[in-house]
Amino acid sequence: MYSLSISTSGKYISVAIHDEKLISSSSVLSENGTTNLLMKSIEEITNKSKINRSEISVVYLDIGPGYYTSLRIGLAVAQGICGSLGIPLVPVNGLDALAFAAHTGHRKICTIIDIKREEFAFCLYKPVPGGVVKDTEPEVLDAAKLKIKLNEDNDKKLVVGDWRSLEENLFGENSYIKLGSPEHVSSEHIYSIGKEIFKNDDYPNFNEVRLEYMREPDVSFSTKSLEGEINFYD
Amino acid sequence: MLDDKIILGFETSCDETAIAIMKGDELLVNTISSQIDIHEKFGGVVPEVASRAHAEMIRNIFHSSLNNANLQISDIDIVSTTDGPGLVGSLVVGYNFAKSIAWSIDKPFFTVDHMVGHLAAPLIENKTMKPPFITLLVSGGHTQIVLVEEWGSYQLLGTTIDDAAGEAFDKLSRFCGFGFPGGPAIQKISEGGDPAKIELPRPKTKHEYNYSFSGLKTAATNFLNNLDIEDKVTRADFAASYQEAIVDSLLSNFVKAVNDTGVKSISGGGGVMANSRLREKMNIFAEEKELNIYLPTPKLSTDNAAMICVAAQNNLITNDMNIEDVRLSSIIT
Ligand SMILES: [Zn+2]
Repeated sequence: MYSLSISTSGKYISVAIHDEKLISSSSVLSENGTTNLLMKSIEEITNKSKINRSEISVVYLDIGPGYYTSLRIGLAVAQGICGSLGIPLVPVNGLDALAFAAHTGHRKICTIIDIKREEFAFCLYKPVPGGVVKDTEPEVLDAAKLKIKLNEDNDKKLVVGDWRSLEENLFGENSYIKLGSPEHVSSEHIYSIGKEIFKNDDYPNFNEVRLEYMREPDVSFSTKSLEGEINFYD
Repeated sequence: MLDDKIILGFETSCDETAIAIMKGDELLVNTISSQIDIHEKFGGVVPEVASRAHAEMIRNIFHSSLNNANLQISDIDIVSTTDGPGLVGSLVVGYNFAKSIAWSIDKPFFTVDHMVGHLAAPLIENKTMKPPFITLLVSGGHTQIVLVEEWGSYQLLGTTIDDAAGEAFDKLSRFCGFGFPGGPAIQKISEGGDPAKIELPRPKTKHEYNYSFSGLKTAATNFLNNLDIEDKVTRADFAASYQEAIVDSLLSNFVKAVNDTGVKSISGGGGVMANSRLREKMNIFAEEKELNIYLPTPKLSTDNAAMICVAAQNNLITNDMNIEDVRLSSIIT
């Protein structure tokens, strides 16, 4: 019984195979135009670990937030594999995965994921015994709003995720803020939560899995129409 | 030809999520899920909206296609998909979905150039078509005259230097509030109109087979801006005249190319090739010159996955060229 975990939400294409413990994993920097990297990585780690594809019995997928096109590559591949092999697809939220992987006993956890266009997905979590719980609802913020958010109180905070994408002064002189790891979502973080969700049977039918875009698409279309102003005879 | 093999094809280069399954020569299913309803309100295809829709729909369309063909996934022998050209965000969905299926069931995976798919489309209904032939590929993204000397050897004789023919329809249709996509909207409104009512230019380019539609578009919008009710021009007259100008322009260069090369067979493809006036004039030309003509039916002229299947079946594939990514430009150059 093997699981395949996939994360493509950020700069890395990350895949892992587990069988209770980690069997094999790979993480490669995703450059523009490499739309084939995910399948290549999956082929590589299954070959390396000599696992037959039909032995994979569940897929854990990072459904975002993150880069839109990369997320869709992850979803397309996960749906193709799960549909073909007839196995469950367990969606995992990337912000949850970051918070769950952050090691802190007492600080609040601020998770940040770059979704491009100078916007960031953000969510605040509280550590509780055995895990974390959401302290706020996830939201999309630009850098200025994120700065206000981070500095609005003097609670001790641990910032994880894509904080390197932000300017250093964003965190101000606030000595309550600590920058830490993980700095990006990996397939192993996805596995850690995914296996719990799977155990609790708390996941949708795989064709109902939706990505967490967290934002409507930009529609800037010129809809200039002279309808009504043209002097047609009829 | 791959005899009785069952071949699964995907086509997601623009706003249609299309899946087809062929068994040998027989087209078992040809599913096309159009996003027209979604894009209609924007008056055009919004790439991010299109890719989101592909990602959400592809899995269900695949499932229903298998059901309609009465097949299990294990029955599939070959998986094929278009790897470009098209909208990247849309292409990656079909490409990765198809590739992961091929990998999961451990079957061969072939990629097909979208434009090669269009020029192979007549083979779905007409196995006798064979090179040499000249084809006119016209859609929202492309306007090409291609000489196919033999399968795999494509010579681009002419292309558009600005708008594609489909864009010329879309832009004026949006301008007049006729609807989206523009081609079918203008064709419908043109019924009963007089195609000679308005004099519109037939633009020429330096290169004799190339196209330009931006001058026609400007002339048409200027005409509409200055239109007086006393001119007694109906919507149908305008639509018919504008359609006639596009069809005439398309035909004149194509006719020149056919005459210059002396090729005896012609064909066509792409969304604009579903236009009935264009088909009529293509057929008249073929009859007058006693040429073999292979026009796919309108449903197989617009984007579909059956053309991807038939191209893969005939080995008209791109992945032996070491292309392992989606592409923005066609292999036809
Ligand atoms: Zn097309």
